[in-house]
Amino acid sequence: MLKHLYDTDCVTWSPQGKLFQVEYAMEAVKQGSICLGLKSNDHVVLCSLKRQPSELAGYQEKQFKIDDHMAIAIAGLTADARVLCKYMRTECLEYKYTYESHHPVGRLVFKVAEKSQHKTQSGAKRPYGVGLLVAGIDPNGVHLFETCPSGNYYEYKCQAIGSRSQAARTYFESWFHLFQKSNLEQLILHGLSAIKKAIMEDEELNEKNVEVGILGKNQKFTHLNAQELKNYIAQLETFNPNSQIQQE
Amino acid sequence: MIFNSELSAQQQHTTSPVVTGGSVIALAYKGGVVIGTDTLCSYGSMAAFKNVEKIAQVSKNTIYVSSGEYSDFQQVVKELAKIDRSALQYDDGVHPSPRDYGNFLARLSYKKRCKINPLYLQNVIAGFHNGERYLALVDIYGTYLESNFVTTGFASYFCKAIISNYWNENCTLDQAKQVIRECFKVLFCRDCRAHDVIQLGYVDEQGVHVEQPERVETKWDFNGFKTRANEKLHTQ
Repeated sequence: MLKHLYDTDCVTWSPQGKLFQVEYAMEAVKQGSICLGLKSNDHVVLCSLKRQPSELAGYQEKQFKIDDHMAIAIAGLTADARVLCKYMRTECLEYKYTYESHHPVGRLVFKVAEKSQHKTQSGAKRPYGVGLLVAGIDPNGVHLFETCPSGNYYEYKCQAIGSRSQAARTYFESWFHLFQKSNLEQLILHGLSAIKKAIMEDEELNEKNVEVGILGKNQKFTHLNAQELKNYIAQLETFNPNSQIQQE
Repeated sequence: MIFNSELSAQQQHTTSPVVTGGSVIALAYKGGVVIGTDTLCSYGSMAAFKNVEKIAQVSKNTIYVSSGEYSDFQQVVKELAKIDRSALQYDDGVHPSPRDYGNFLARLSYKKRCKINPLYLQNVIAGFHNGERYLALVDIYGTYLESNFVTTGFASYFCKAIISNYWNENCTLDQAKQVIRECFKVLFCRDCRAHDVIQLGYVDEQGVHVEQPERVETKWDFNGFKTRANEKLHTQ
């Protein structure tokens, strides 16, 4: 009830040690439609559910290529995501101009986190209202990071953020031990299965409202096209993770 | 006292070097890259500093040498070390590869050249990364060239024939070192700003090895010198 006393700006702590503005910003991420990422030894796959503001409109894209070796999936305020996307792309270009090599993934996520934290420590600023799933591949390996409006970032084997993401995370908890050795096809099917857990009863997955992006050690970031998406969604009917265990 | 603040505010542009280092010769061999340079810094025509060790280890698997203005060399070593230290700041275990250093130096040299205030250097960067050897030349203008052999200064004129005849990119380390020693023998004869003490350093899979300076064998009792057969005698 006393929340409203301490939630006016970022420079006010609550007696419980919370920054309410930052927590409210994280709520904005939870309102965005679901996006998830999962990785194996050689690939990272990003899946997201696209929203259509009205029947007349197109679907809002949620995955953006940052560089050949890096991409993000967003949940939350799209406008804020655009700013961070532009920043990340600029940093990658500058790094490539100076060193002729790809920006290390963890380092760029760190920079984004620094930028986000800065917004949480000023009277005149507000935190970014977007969470990113950053998929990237560099000499250190295959990476999947999550960034928050709070300025924290975490590395994951698989993660889902956005609306009803808990259902997808529950799916991951059951099956993530298979991901490391999965091939690309299995990884995509796992991702789509996880998203399927998070859609509403009257919704269905189709090639229009789902976005799948893949990144591989020898593969630049690409989106699956409509036909490929249709094929994978059709395969979902018969996809059984248990059979993957029997193979091993 | 009158301070002429205009003079001190004016930025000077490097037009000619003051303390200079001599030629650098770098050769790739089977399993790495070896660089040789002499240990002299000249003050014009004076051999001012004769014990200068000029092979800089920039990171675990990269070495950097240059010929030209020595203070610029020292500054570049600091700049390159800064990059390596940034890995500590980010704490992510990512270290620049030799190629990253080479490209960075090319960008830096080009930037300074564009402001008509160059780093008065011919730079050589050598390294070994991911099982591959690396050798590049970055010149005063910021030109960046990767190659299996690199020479700067007078070595470009005198030594290419020697390198061409006695070296190939798959020779052994000792063969490559021997070629470099031969080259410096010739340089000491013909280059007025050369010195007979040289230092060799090489990078291979195990890392960087910089050797102690060594004196190059010199031979002066050639018949041509003794009899002066090629020289025209001046007559009254």
